[in-house]
Amino acid sequence: MMLQLVAVAFFGVAAVAFGIGVFRTRSMVRSALSLLGAMVAIGLMFLAMEAEFLGVLQLMMMASEMAIMAIFMMMYMMDPGGLSQMEMTHQKRTSVGAGIIGGAGALVLSFLTPWGRIVASAPAPEAQLHDLGIELMTRGMLIFETAGFTILVAMIAATLTAIVRQK
Amino acid sequence: MITLWVALAVGAALFAVGLYGALSQTNMVMIMMGVELMLGAAMVNLVAFWRFLHPQVYAGQMFVLIVMTVMALEAAVGFGVATARFRAKGSVEMEEATELRE
Repeated sequence: MMLQLVAVAFFGVAAVAFGIGVFRTRSMVRSALSLLGAMVAIGLMFLAMEAEFLGVLQLMMMASEMAIMAIFMMMYMMDPGGLSQMEMTHQKRTSVGAGIIGGAGALVLSFLTPWGRIVASAPAPEAQLHDLGIELMTRGMLIFETAGFTILVAMIAATLTAIVRQK
Repeated sequence: MITLWVALAVGAALFAVGLYGALSQTNMVMIMMGVELMLGAAMVNLVAFWRFLHPQVYAGQMFVLIVMTVMALEAAVGFGVATARFRAKGSVEMEEATELRE
């Protein structure tokens, strides 16, 4: 339990540090790599919290998504390396205020809520995989199918939005 | 209980950073990065709730899968819109997108 606490805290601090790093650099590539670092740290937090399947899925998905994001950022930015020190922020004070209020609100709520009894151990990884599979194929089938159909709609919508329209 | 609190505190901090990024950045892809961080914070909270409160109920893990789907959809549609915007105006700077207001 102590080891789990240390691991969750360590990877949590790493995730927040990488998250802050996303908006502190002017280089787009560094921003994308920082976001990748934050997502990897979140995946490692999942592993520390014994959600093995979700942890591995997070690492695999985010590695590819952030690589694609870095390519898009280099394509669409005038200064992807951040060499000309372009200003890319606005309404900074409002944003900092909103961030502090949002974060503090979530923090206060999480400490004030009576969460009830804490369960000491999670099911074994193989039992988790089996039971999650059963959940997906029974009670959660409709939700899962809806998610799949939504991905298909989003793929078509994104492609149609991006293609050049001939006049 | 402390581990749950630590995980929820990390979620709150990630949400705050993501909210700051989504509101303060002028570049569309950077705004998407802020949204991704906020969704990451939601996933951290969901996994912590599943692990420490209801590890026998897999609806929590399924909810995380749905949030991951939402992240992928946000990226796909966001890049589609960014591509259309770049082709039309040559930039994805949201400061220059004031005509969308009209």
